[in-house]
Amino acid sequence: MTQADDRLKALFAGDEPPARDPAFSMAVMEKVMRRRFQEDLAILCGVSLAGGAVLWPLWPVLQPALVTLSEGFAPALGAAALAACALVMLGGRARTALGLS
Amino acid sequence: MMLASLDESLVAEAQAGSPQAFSRLVDRHQQAVRAFLRRACGGDWALADDLAQETFLTAWTRIGRLQTGASVRAWLCGIGYNKHLTARRSAGRDRAREALYEAERPVGSSASNEDRMALEAAMADLPAEQRACVALCLAADFSHAEASEALGLPLGTVKSHISRGRARLLQALELSDDAS
Repeated sequence: MTQADDRLKALFAGDEPPARDPAFSMAVMEKVMRRRFQEDLAILCGVSLAGGAVLWPLWPVLQPALVTLSEGFAPALGAAALAACALVMLGGRARTALGLS
Repeated sequence: MMLASLDESLVAEAQAGSPQAFSRLVDRHQQAVRAFLRRACGGDWALADDLAQETFLTAWTRIGRLQTGASVRAWLCGIGYNKHLTARRSAGRDRAREALYEAERPVGSSASNEDRMALEAAMADLPAEQRACVALCLAADFSHAEASEALGLPLGTVKSHISRGRARLLQALELSDDAS
């Protein structure tokens, strides 16, 4: 490398951003998380629409069966739904919350 | 070598969906990507930083395609270069913000302002490909092969761009190869 190259390099160094820039990194990660959220939302919407489309023609058949089943399993299903809600709200920390770990 | 292996493990974690690992990749490479884009954009720092953010956003969506062992820095600069070319093609960017940003730019202490302005003007005069090659190889210590991979240009083209670009910069700064 010649002295001219060293001089060029020294001049270029004036344009160098800081080695650490939390504000820039945070701005990038904010956009990344927003993109991730939009993708998750799109997937959930798609799955919901597909589920709805599948259930629509089947509903006349399913409904009587569900009514019959719900009479027998309503308490158990209610308890399972509550447990599922608790798990979601605890964010997977159920074992800790229940003192099992 | 250790830095490259750290990159590899971070890429593997990011490919598995870890935003924390990707955030560390952003921290590690933001300086190189932003510096490259600042030079490629001919001193338009506001545009360069916007493009750098878009570069990382695109990198997040495409991280699954990054081959094991590939240079993360070169890959990111390649994405950034494509963003830069797209931005150049689309007219009508907001220039008012640029003027504001330019006014807030810090002044370097090691080099004289005149020389820096001359360098910036000379860089802005270079054709885009030549400028990108100079920005990577002369300013950021990329190897010719790495620059070729990042910019998607043949190795010979990269070498000739650097040779011509360097000559034009030295001429603009009134430097010669044996200058002291």
